[in-house]
Amino acid sequence: MTSIKITGVEKRFGELLALSDINLTIEKGEFFTLLGPSGCGKTTLLRTIAGFYRQDKGDIWLGEELINDVPAYKRNTGMVFQNYAVFPHMTVYENVAYGLKVRKLPAQEIEERVKSALKNVHLEGYEARTPDKLSGGQQQRVGLARAMAIEPRVLLFDEPLSNLDAKLRVEMRDEIRAVQKALGITAVYVTHDQEEALVISDRIAVVNFGKIQQVGPPWEIYKNPVNLFVATFVGKINALDVVLGEDLGPGLRRAQAGSLSFAVPSAGTENCTEAVLAFRPEEVVETDQAATGANRLSGTLVSTAFLGTVVSMELELGGNTIVIERHRPKKADIPAAGDKVEFAVPPESCFIFDKQTGARLRAKEGR
Amino acid sequence: MNLRGKRADVWHLVTFIGFAIVIIFLIYPLFDVFQYSFKNKETGELSLANWKEFFGRAYYMRAFGHSMFISLATTFFSMVLGIPLGFFTTRYKIKGSNLLTTLSVLALLSPTFIGAYSWITMLGRNGFLRNLFSSIGITLPPIYGALGIILADSLQYYPFISLMLAGSLMTIDRSLEEASENLGARATKTFFSVTMPLVLPSLTGGALIVFMMSLSNFGTPMIIGGNYLVLPTLAYNMFTSEVGESPGMASTVSIILMLCAAVVIVLQTWASSRRKYASMLVNRPVVKKLKGAKAFFAHLICYFIVGLSTLPLAVIVFYSFRNTSGPVFQPGFSLNSYKQIFFDVPKTVANSFIYSLTAVVLIALVGTLLGFVIARKRNLAVKLLDPLLMIPYIVPGTVLGIGFIVAFNRKPIFLTGTAIIMIMTYFIRRLPYSVRSAASILKQIDPALEEAGINLGSPPGRTFRTVTLPLMQSGIISGAIMSWVTSMNELSASVLLYVGRTMTMPIKVYLSVADGYFGTASAMSTILLVVTGIAMFVVNKYFNRGSDTFIAA
Ligand SMILES: Nc1ncnc2c1ncn2[C@@H]1O[C@H](COP(=O)(O)OP(=O)(O)OP(=O)(O)O)[C@@H](O)[C@H]1O
Ligand SMILES: [Mg+2]
Repeated sequence: MTSIKITGVEKRFGELLALSDINLTIEKGEFFTLLGPSGCGKTTLLRTIAGFYRQDKGDIWLGEELINDVPAYKRNTGMVFQNYAVFPHMTVYENVAYGLKVRKLPAQEIEERVKSALKNVHLEGYEARTPDKLSGGQQQRVGLARAMAIEPRVLLFDEPLSNLDAKLRVEMRDEIRAVQKALGITAVYVTHDQEEALVISDRIAVVNFGKIQQVGPPWEIYKNPVNLFVATFVGKINALDVVLGEDLGPGLRRAQAGSLSFAVPSAGTENCTEAVLAFRPEEVVETDQAATGANRLSGTLVSTAFLGTVVSMELELGGNTIVIERHRPKKADIPAAGDKVEFAVPPESCFIFDKQTGARLRAKEGR
Repeated sequence: MNLRGKRADVWHLVTFIGFAIVIIFLIYPLFDVFQYSFKNKETGELSLANWKEFFGRAYYMRAFGHSMFISLATTFFSMVLGIPLGFFTTRYKIKGSNLLTTLSVLALLSPTFIGAYSWITMLGRNGFLRNLFSSIGITLPPIYGALGIILADSLQYYPFISLMLAGSLMTIDRSLEEASENLGARATKTFFSVTMPLVLPSLTGGALIVFMMSLSNFGTPMIIGGNYLVLPTLAYNMFTSEVGESPGMASTVSIILMLCAAVVIVLQTWASSRRKYASMLVNRPVVKKLKGAKAFFAHLICYFIVGLSTLPLAVIVFYSFRNTSGPVFQPGFSLNSYKQIFFDVPKTVANSFIYSLTAVVLIALVGTLLGFVIARKRNLAVKLLDPLLMIPYIVPGTVLGIGFIVAFNRKPIFLTGTAIIMIMTYFIRRLPYSVRSAASILKQIDPALEEAGINLGSPPGRTFRTVTLPLMQSGIISGAIMSWVTSMNELSASVLLYVGRTMTMPIKVYLSVADGYFGTASAMSTILLVVTGIAMFVVNKYFNRGSDTFIAA
């Protein structure tokens, strides 16, 4: 139950800059997720915290302690590995007891701690099993119990669920979250699955090319992305290249994408003409319900995908492809290819990004 | 782990010891071999006289030609024997195929000279088979010379072919052949256009191993070669003969042997690098059940091949129980030969066991540690050490023996006539196998397991002991047993290095044959065979290791 402070951390593998100027503070008891595409440096950062890599620059603090030169085995971080890394030559009990024996705890206490760790992950009664007789999900529970048993200062997870099937993934995800909250332990969780990140995290750091793009609670990351990368990586979004034009009254400005014309928020866009307009599929309003007439559009349906709670529709308008969603669809609601679909994009749902830098253009004070 | 620890850890020490071993026991003696070859004996100046003589005199070139001929012929006949056996036992249901495999492996691992010696008792000047054939009017050609060497070598080494072929045939996914048939190819077309190309690399690999083993084999040509000299026996003679002894020429011959071996190793590495076809095995190949005449012939061929290679071993065992009086066989059976061993030369038996066991402990220990360094700590020094450790692969026993005699018969390291030099010979010859096998076992152990240990608070040394080592254990032990067997049976280097009190069983067999004491030789060989058999059984039974272990040995 410790905070983690990372300042100015940089890590190179030869020429490759795997981490560049990482600055993070992870609070006590927080569930903190590193989210990003493959190869962006998530694992590298996690392993640097665990002490398997030594950063080339910068400092890492666990609570009040500067741990730059503390070897991995003295850091007291409990790591849960992607491929479980359960010792195949030990029973479940021995696996969980391993770290406790290393710490030379009295036998009595080892037994109690193993028991309670196994109870936490619902593996009571599996003590004598060997790992080859466990399912993937059970093995990962052993991995989790083993990491928790040492009462680490922080728990580190490197894509712990990616080898499990979809249903088990959801189950284990909720369980990890529950156990972490119950123990109040600080957790750093690596994933490339944005849905997983949104569900499980207190806060998320979106990483790309070894750099932190944005840090914030899930809601903030989704609803208020700071750049085009975060907007496109987290959730689905429509993005159109636009040219910004004249003012359209209070706080609005024209954005022209070929023949399509939008009214978009003008705050922050003063010095920009070439931009990217983006909006999420679920933010559109179907015109028959729309009171205001702003950003009314009409597209030709290319294809539909029925996803249970929503129908996702791919439309063609003026040479652009746009995806919109209709919620709680009824059978009659599902149009056929070639049909015209009318909808509106509320101006306040539009994000504007600088075309060159990808940075979000918005009012200075945020929100 | 890329933790740049500032303290020198235990793995630096291991690397250092690795270098020390390589320098003292390989580079230093081999350097002497080079020196002898390139220096004028009288003046001590650099000279190519030895090389000119080698390439200028028919006597030497002939031995070179002999070696090439023997190795090629052995490779050819090994394939003739090995391919049908490997193919039939994997693709057709052959009754007792496990027994066949076991017996062929026994022939492979038996001391090299046993086959030669046994064929002499059968087909030598007064051999019982020769007499049998001449009694029905057939005169067999003389067994001494090329014929005998090729016969004994082929019957010993063909399992390399059959085992490697079987190994790769069993890992060809059935769907590949089914796909071919599905696309309209007949069975024969499928065999030649799909199956053959897939097994070809491992067949090539097996053939190269046979070539190499036969090229560097010393025991067989020494016993059955007569006047037919090959490179290893030539080097031995040049080095030891009382008249006209010439260490310079012996060294030159040695270097030529090593060059040939190096070429073969390069080819073999190349062949095995192309062997990675069928790694993701989904559907095991089908084993067909044959009927009628086909079944009969398939069985006949398999049993004939294995029977032929087991025959020499059986004959030896049989002879060891025959009644003897001195060197002469008498009618009837007795344990005289065994009694003689235990009364006359118990020390020889003890030596063999003590030296090989000591060597094996060292081999397993050092090999495992070096294997770990090579698999997990690839820094610059280790990258340099890795190929150096493989030198023994290309150093035939005879050459190593010559190097050791020269290098350790003077200050600063004086080892001539000691047990240590025998043990170190075994140690060095087997070390690369042990290092390789430890490294390859480690490559199959997920490094995340070690990281998990460290992450849970266990320092690197303790993690190695409690996590890595237990996982390597069965591989190490079965490898050690194979090292033990080959060390027990080592002749080519130790025959140059022994003195009376450091005599070992293979050397005694060799000398007994030379002196005509066939009874003792048989009994001694039988003991070695039994030891070999027991070791194989243990490896198979308790470590669940397939024939691969034996090929690697
Ligand atoms: N030990 C290493 N040596 C050299 N390069 C490395 C090493 N580890 C990682 N890299 C490189 O550093 C970059 C970041 O790798 P990292 O493993 O941190 O990615 P990741 O975000 O975890 O990706 P994934 O989601 O695929 O696991 C990659 O380009 C990778 O190739
Ligand atoms: Mg990763």
